[in-house]
Amino acid sequence: MLFSQARKRPVVNTATANRVARVDSFVVLPGPARVALLRLGKVSGAGTLLSWDDVQGFGPDAVTVATDAVIRPARDVLEQRAEDNDLEIVGKRLLSEQGTELGTVTDVDFDPETGTVTSLITKTDTISGQRLIGLGGYAAVVSA
Amino acid sequence: MTTPMPALVLRASEVIGRPVVTLSGELVAEVKDVVFERTGGRIAGFTLRNPGLFSRSRKDSLPWAGVHGLGRDAVIVADEAVFVATKELAPRKKARKADVLQDRVLTDNGRDLGRVVDVVLHGGTRMEVVGYEVEASEALGTAGQRVLIPLPDTVAVSGEHLIVPAAACEFVSDDLAGFGAAVDAFRSRLREGAS
Repeated sequence: MLFSQARKRPVVNTATANRVARVDSFVVLPGPARVALLRLGKVSGAGTLLSWDDVQGFGPDAVTVATDAVIRPARDVLEQRAEDNDLEIVGKRLLSEQGTELGTVTDVDFDPETGTVTSLITKTDTISGQRLIGLGGYAAVVSA
Repeated sequence: MTTPMPALVLRASEVIGRPVVTLSGELVAEVKDVVFERTGGRIAGFTLRNPGLFSRSRKDSLPWAGVHGLGRDAVIVADEAVFVATKELAPRKKARKADVLQDRVLTDNGRDLGRVVDVVLHGGTRMEVVGYEVEASEALGTAGQRVLIPLPDTVAVSGEHLIVPAAACEFVSDDLAGFGAAVDAFRSRLREGAS
């Protein structure tokens, strides 16, 4: 499933059957490349992050959670940067570890069952998610 | 056996101003200048400045051994721990100023090929100095023009001369595009000669 297809999906609490938030974007961490967190919008509380581990199901029509309590604020510096959108992978410059720019990440393909990032997509290329070494404020770095 | 050299060759001067990026994707510095080793025609490393418009010089530098990848768009390092104090890179101020630029390239049979204006590197993750850009002397028949001279694996450097095998003259290129192949051909010739 592509990030572009999965964005804006409602987050539903299965205990109350209420729509509690909306998926705004995805926080990817390398080694191995995976969706670690979801950044949410239209939340009622202060927090906007949802750990992938707290997602009950990532379905075609909704993302489900067991309780609203799993929607939380950042816990550490990395999560704070993720919440501030500094680590957003879509739109990020893609560099090879050899120092060559490979384009800009336009979309990401992931497995909604596991959160594994299967590929990074640029205008001209599809790069295996396994090649992702690092993702920082400046670039996503991939192995050669 | 010759190892094919990919076309990733670039001038040392092209690295100036490049972003220094960690493997975790963070911009940590910009290359301020290239520091050459006084002997061997090799590169000791790069001095750094902070990234940005009103960037300031830094007291730490990137040693050659700390470079993970060297490309047209960035210099990649594992992390900032590879940086060292600039004075470790070039202990004496004199050594920092007097680099291989301006030196004359002399063949081992005594022909002066010209004055070094830049150093040509092979980038990627297999980095080395592969040639010199010189302002050609009369000996090359293209006097006054800038040409690229391939280097063998090792070069002898004195105070003012860089000595290359005479065969280097046959592998001179005008541009970087064909230069990687010229270096390969030159080195394989040297190996054949040696065996």
